[in-house]
Amino acid sequence: MPAVHSDDSGPRILVFSTNSISDPGIDLVGSAHMHYSPRVVTIPVPCSSGIRPSWILHAIEAGFDGVFIAADGTDCAYVSDCTTRTGKVVAQSQKLLQEHGHDPRRLKMAAICSVCAESFVSHIDRLGEDLKRLEVRKERQEEGKP
Amino acid sequence: MSYDVLVVGGGIAGMESALNLGDMGFKVLLVEKEASIGGKMILLSKVFPTLDCASCISTPKMAATSHHPNITTMVHSEVENIVRREDGRFQVRLQKHTNYVNPSACTGCGECELACTVASPDEFNADLVLRRAAHIPFPQAVPKKAVIERAGTSPCSFECPAGVKAHGYIALVRAGRYEEAFALHMEDAPLVGSLSRACYAPCEGACTRGGLEGPLSIRGIKRFLADRYYAAHSEPEYGPPERRSGKRVAVVGSGPAGLTAAYFLAQLGHEVVVFEAAPQAGGMLRYGIPAYRLPREVLDRDIKNVTALSVSIQLNHPVTSVRSLLEQGFDAVFLSVGTRESQKLGVPGEDLEGVMGCMDFLVAANTGAIASLAGKSVIVVGGGNSAIDPARLALRLGAAKVTILYRRSRQEMPAHDWEVKAALEEGVQLQELRTPVEFLGEDGHLKAVKAQAMRLGEPDSSGRRRPVPVPGSENVIPVDLVIISIGLAPSTGPFAGELACNKNGTLRVNASTLETSLPGVFAGGDAVTGPSMIVQAIGEGHRAAFYIDHYLRGDDVTKLVFNDRLPVMDKAEVLQREQGATRRERSVLRELPPAERIQGIIEVEQGFTEEEARAEAARCLDCGVCSECHACVRACPAGAIDFSLRDQQMELDVGAVIVASGFRLFNARAKKSYGYGRYPNVIDAMQMDRILAPTRPYNAVIRPSDGKVPDNIAYVLCTGSRDCTLDNRLCSRVCCMYSLKQAQLIMGAVPLADVTIYYIDIRAFGKGYEEFFQQARDMGVMFVKGKVAEIQEEENGNLTLTYEDIEGGGGRQRATHDLVVLSVGLLANPEPANLFAPGQLEMDPYSYVREPEEDLDPGRTNIPGIFVAGTAAGIRDIPDTILHAGAAAAQTAAYLQQARSLR
Repeated sequence: MPAVHSDDSGPRILVFSTNSISDPGIDLVGSAHMHYSPRVVTIPVPCSSGIRPSWILHAIEAGFDGVFIAADGTDCAYVSDCTTRTGKVVAQSQKLLQEHGHDPRRLKMAAICSVCAESFVSHIDRLGEDLKRLEVRKERQEEGKP
Repeated sequence: MSYDVLVVGGGIAGMESALNLGDMGFKVLLVEKEASIGGKMILLSKVFPTLDCASCISTPKMAATSHHPNITTMVHSEVENIVRREDGRFQVRLQKHTNYVNPSACTGCGECELACTVASPDEFNADLVLRRAAHIPFPQAVPKKAVIERAGTSPCSFECPAGVKAHGYIALVRAGRYEEAFALHMEDAPLVGSLSRACYAPCEGACTRGGLEGPLSIRGIKRFLADRYYAAHSEPEYGPPERRSGKRVAVVGSGPAGLTAAYFLAQLGHEVVVFEAAPQAGGMLRYGIPAYRLPREVLDRDIKNVTALSVSIQLNHPVTSVRSLLEQGFDAVFLSVGTRESQKLGVPGEDLEGVMGCMDFLVAANTGAIASLAGKSVIVVGGGNSAIDPARLALRLGAAKVTILYRRSRQEMPAHDWEVKAALEEGVQLQELRTPVEFLGEDGHLKAVKAQAMRLGEPDSSGRRRPVPVPGSENVIPVDLVIISIGLAPSTGPFAGELACNKNGTLRVNASTLETSLPGVFAGGDAVTGPSMIVQAIGEGHRAAFYIDHYLRGDDVTKLVFNDRLPVMDKAEVLQREQGATRRERSVLRELPPAERIQGIIEVEQGFTEEEARAEAARCLDCGVCSECHACVRACPAGAIDFSLRDQQMELDVGAVIVASGFRLFNARAKKSYGYGRYPNVIDAMQMDRILAPTRPYNAVIRPSDGKVPDNIAYVLCTGSRDCTLDNRLCSRVCCMYSLKQAQLIMGAVPLADVTIYYIDIRAFGKGYEEFFQQARDMGVMFVKGKVAEIQEEENGNLTLTYEDIEGGGGRQRATHDLVVLSVGLLANPEPANLFAPGQLEMDPYSYVREPEEDLDPGRTNIPGIFVAGTAAGIRDIPDTILHAGAAAAQTAAYLQQARSLR
């Protein structure tokens, strides 16, 4: 069972969704009264393979703790190799993040279909947990602890 | 497991108080007895006075409840007992009923419902239409998971000693799915053809329809599907399984028990070698049962079902030591040697040539060693099946005269009645109360038999009357051949030194695992039970395979249960449920006329045609509802269906309880003068609400008797309420308003219809209610002030109401309508009292949960920590129920906070 998200703490996550497929799925989370952190915001785009790695870097440097790309798997009517194309974007973005001193694990991608409400909540919750652990590790590093 | 609050009931009151408490941060467990939350409101069309859609309002609440982080929803579960503990918390015992569906795998796709072969009344649609046994409760069900309705095991499937799911294959034949029916049978027993000819069909004896026109001809239906499959598939469509266990099992004896054990063991991936002493496989099926009952081609095709799995059958290979088999490298042995020996009479002359044991005769006749008995006279001694078969066979081999000598009378003969009848029809003579005392011969050859009369004395230990010799009644009968069929003895002689045996020679085994005194050696069939029936032997073969497989894996066999079934259905209950079934004569398998059939070894019985088989299968009453045909299991893409799931009992501990168990609808059958349940066009308001709802059963408003769209509808208010003859003086508070609602909806759905409401008063007391009433008047709904005394049916299904015309001309009046809707009242649900010790939870005089301070402290009961919400405390409409639920939630929160601060 997910924790109650009612406060101002917790990681800020930016989600890129696609207009036709994953955004309806994310929207269904709300219709079904499921819960996820209010510190998650979503920007729908026409195609996840059109996301520029520079946007991901900008998001992290602007203050988001993590970025989630909700891609389409094989559901998209226009291209069937979304995973491969978006995967390339992710690889480039993670390289860029590393070059700028950021942990590449702050970027995640998964296929979210138009009814994958539960799946989206579970991915976001898991990313939130991972990001919290990264924070703790960063603090310990800064304090000189192992 | 521990929660802050238990909410009993997932209707709107339960959901509302759960949501309020969940939002406050308390951990809530919501328990609902139906398979979905939503209560009564989700069944409605629209609500008064706004005419909002009931589903549109309820479903977001249902979704919110099921997804709330602080609320755990348990559906299809019932609270059984609540006990207050010393520390002020409550110990709760509840029963989680299973749907036979794994909820985490099921996606609610509905494929199972499309595949299901059994129809059942749809309770969501007030029994107006049918749904399937495997079904999604309704389209907006929360959680949306399949439910398989299983009332119990059907008597036919339960009775079968081999556990064959007779109801399952009957349901598949009924649906025209013959290949699936054959596959289902193979799940439990591979010798389908042999059983279809020679099984004694205990299932037919158990069939509930036997209490009506007669049981289903189940064996006939089986024969139809077997013949059909074998005609289309001369070879099995499968080979051995890919995964091999590396273990080797020896099976001794290729009769029904041995072949079945070999089949299931090979399926599980073991290497199986069958040792058979005779020149051909089949055991009793080939050498005992004559070919006029079980044709050889059918048996040979059955045996292919087993050998297709790469089971090797070594013929002419008798085995005399099981220990030697283990030493040869077999990891386990199944001994199924049967009862090949015939018991002897023990009278002088028994070893003369011409006196044969019944098995020796049957083997000789079935193999052709005895080709003809032309002109001979034959006497068969005995009264069981092992006497009838040789007698009928002798006749077909041309014997001039065949006589059965039996020492008791016909009633006591253990043979099946139909077999004795068939034998007599064919010309076999029966001499009752006679027995041989000596066989007379010349040069070692039989010439005659000296027989003696018997009379019946006192009953012996078997309950049958003992035959007592009549002195001086001997006579001598000349005869060429005598067949002794007084009983069979097990062929276990060679193993007596290695295995524990009983006095009669049968092997001693563990009753459930079938393991003998030697570890790794199992036994089954007639060698263990003594002479029995084929289907019993098959059942034992399957059982043994199960336990041998687990033994080979090193499991503790004592912990395992084979073939756990649900309890059998009560036939009286089924007949009561199916009272409306149309009477249909049963079809029986035809037999060739006696004179024709003894011309040679020709099959006596003829199978059903397709029409006959399906018509016969259509007589099935679906006793256990679900037929266990496993069509749903095959159809489910997620593999979510699991028939082995069972109900579970749970104990948990909660801080407080809210009783939100709702109300009962008045069952209008109790008002006999209105004809509900007798006249098809008298329906109740819940049925009308379903007909009007968006998830309606039909595409239009139609009346039940003939599907006509009604144009003159009557509403009868106060049905079951304000009625001292029905012991309910209370007004049900919502019926006037819901009747006005339905009337307005009908004006929209059927614009040409006239609606007349027969009322005593119109109770429109709430905000907007009077306006709602005026709205109905303005739409043209007619109102007649007068209590309806009686409803009578006319020829065309129309109904005539007799009422008192209070505001009109007075006196008794009559009016005819084509559909009558009874506005049934809401009654108390007295169940909550049973959750506590007797008398502990105070109920009010009307059987609602009592609120000691109803006006000042709503929601509180007499027990601290137990609260009540909604119609469980008294009838109220939807807005008032939500209000009351809020009150109960506030009371509960205050109680819990106080308890916390005290600690």
